[in-house]
Amino acid sequence: MAGNKGRGRASFTFNIEAIGFARGEKLPDVVLKPPPLYPDTDYKPVPLKAGEAEEYMLALKQEFRATMKRTPYFMDTEEEKQEIERYSKRYLKNYKEDDLEWIPDWRRLPREMMPRKKLEWLWPSCYYKLVNESNLYQDLEKKGDEEKSDEETDEKEGGKGKRKDNDDDDDDEAADEQEEYDEEEQEEENDYINSYFDNGDDFGAESDDNMDEATY
Amino acid sequence: MTQAEIKLCSLLLQEHFGEIVDKIGTHLIRTGSQPLRAIVHDTGTSLDQVKKALCVLIQHNLVTYQIHKRGVVEYEAHCSRILRILRYPRYIYTAKTLYSDTGELIVEELLLNGKMTMSAVVKKVADRLTETMEDGKTMDYSEVSSTFCRLADTHFVQRCPLVPDPPESADAQPPPPAPTLSINEKDMYLVPKLNLVGKGKRRRSSDDDAAGEPRPKRPKQTAESKEPIPDDGIYWQADLDRFHQHFRDQSIVSAVANRMDQTSSEIVRTMLRMSEITTSSCAPFTQPLSSNEIFRSLPVGYNISKQVLDQYLTLLADDPLEFVGKSGDSGGGMYVINLHKALASLAMATLESIVQERFGSRCARIFRLVLRKKHLEQKQVEDFAMIPAKEAKDMLYKLLSENLISLQEIPKTPDHAPSRTFYLYTVNSLSAARMLLRRCYKSIANLIERRQFETKENKRLLEKSQRVEAILASMQATGAEEAQLQEIEEMITAPERQQLEGLKRNVNKLDASEIQVDETIFVLESYTESTMKRA
Repeated sequence: MAGNKGRGRASFTFNIEAIGFARGEKLPDVVLKPPPLYPDTDYKPVPLKAGEAEEYMLALKQEFRATMKRTPYFMDTEEEKQEIERYSKRYLKNYKEDDLEWIPDWRRLPREMMPRKKLEWLWPSCYYKLVNESNLYQDLEKKGDEEKSDEETDEKEGGKGKRKDNDDDDDDEAADEQEEYDEEEQEEENDYINSYFDNGDDFGAESDDNMDEATY
Repeated sequence: MTQAEIKLCSLLLQEHFGEIVDKIGTHLIRTGSQPLRAIVHDTGTSLDQVKKALCVLIQHNLVTYQIHKRGVVEYEAHCSRILRILRYPRYIYTAKTLYSDTGELIVEELLLNGKMTMSAVVKKVADRLTETMEDGKTMDYSEVSSTFCRLADTHFVQRCPLVPDPPESADAQPPPPAPTLSINEKDMYLVPKLNLVGKGKRRRSSDDDAAGEPRPKRPKQTAESKEPIPDDGIYWQADLDRFHQHFRDQSIVSAVANRMDQTSSEIVRTMLRMSEITTSSCAPFTQPLSSNEIFRSLPVGYNISKQVLDQYLTLLADDPLEFVGKSGDSGGGMYVINLHKALASLAMATLESIVQERFGSRCARIFRLVLRKKHLEQKQVEDFAMIPAKEAKDMLYKLLSENLISLQEIPKTPDHAPSRTFYLYTVNSLSAARMLLRRCYKSIANLIERRQFETKENKRLLEKSQRVEAILASMQATGAEEAQLQEIEEMITAPERQQLEGLKRNVNKLDASEIQVDETIFVLESYTESTMKRA
């Protein structure tokens, strides 16, 4: 920069008149700051198209967004839960939660997608034994079989926060799904390493340190 | 994938699926395909939440999975598919115009749920239609399913790839960690026959309702819950490419109508309709059609003689826009529609109008000039545009700095000395279209952010009005007096009401802008895609 000082026009290798500066004219200042966030526009924008189709699409868009928020696909963070339930919120509630629960078709998904809550109760007590005892595997299976029939319904209901016991059309699907689910579950239980890892994640989900440990 | 696209995807996911899905989805877009463990680790989200988020994304066809070596399943998000969420209202509206309310609800349900079985769609849509009907009337399942069949016949809905049947000797080797989904192309639009058997039973149940009082919202079907679903495992989704084809055809037809007249647009519409299913959505030309065939397929009641039709076709083929081309002389002349050319013309018109609206008509003149003449020197631009040299330079540089016009150097000598170099200005339409596309994504992201800001600013007020409305509704249901209702209504003061109205107006405007910017995106995207496929 300093080397250029005082040399003026001579620093250009081309004829400056070609780009529209007359001889002796002052060059524009160097711009040292970013352009403004909301620059002035020379031309005002044209108004939006308006018509029946546009209005209908607008309504569809807003309705779609609102409906998505009420589907089981919408996963929000839990922070919105309030300690004290507001009286007036009660009115809002049934408006919000009238949608059905969602049971994914596990056949279409990778096996690792399935929630494996069933073994969770085993985890803390068995952790140390896991390392040494070779016959633990049979234990697991036996315990699993005993508990399965009782746990089944509980676990289904309590498994996911969003599930409600609505009597909806999906009931038949649910029954179907359940069979499928158990079959797969049995296979899963043979998968020693996987269950080990997964329970680790569930257990340590609260703190980041544990998380890392469990993942590796 | 640009930052603007990623940002927009993230906003769309957040608005439609919540924070957690947004986090996982955006992570996947940024990093490409990833196994489950890596996602859990990198996002610091609990395993269960990641699993559920992935399930949601897969359900909505936004994420796909693939088995990699050593049996690791990797998940990949599709940015361009996520951006299609912007166009959902247009898909639904199109279904309404083509197949009335039933078609609208079918497509809406499919988009809301990602994929559904036909029986579930028919059930849900019939329920929803029944709800809107007067007491005592119901929607028949058969009617809904016939609309569904028509949607499948015209390829607006298609089957999702199926899970292969498990081999009998499955116990010999462990099942793969993820199913490999596949579909035979012939079956893509095949409506399951099985469904027709199950339909009769369901229809009886709706007939029962029709005889008695209006059906409850969700009838408990204890008897039916045991029986297997007839089309279990056969899922359907909306075929977005087919919708795009429809949008494209419509804009071609209206472009022809604007350029020539109604009759010629009707001829082009007929040609497009004839080749709708025979031509793939990305082909540069339609199949050649003879003028005799076109004559036979013209809509009934459209009284033009064969001679007039031939004249129109010759006119269309001679038009410099080249929407219609002549490919042969057999059968009274074979004609094709040059889809690529049509898309390019539409995109160029969009580019020109953007330049005109942003930089004024004189800049647009320079832009059009460079576009037509391909390569021009600065002096030539000044002369041809008939704009004073100083102003012309100013405008040219402005367009250059906005990347709408590009500069090509051609040195006369190898030393690239400026005095011995030609500077040619040119419009690189593909890169200009891409640049504008990025701008459009950015604008929509900005619009969404602004809308969220407006809503957040007035959150308390919105909640209050919601609460008041809810209370009002419940009071009305219990039969409260008029005075009581009015009292509650007055809980929202006049200035508050005014503020609410203002907010509503702003949000509507922002939402409408989003939809309309997406229309521009559609034109530009179709152009870039079609150009890429030709290259």
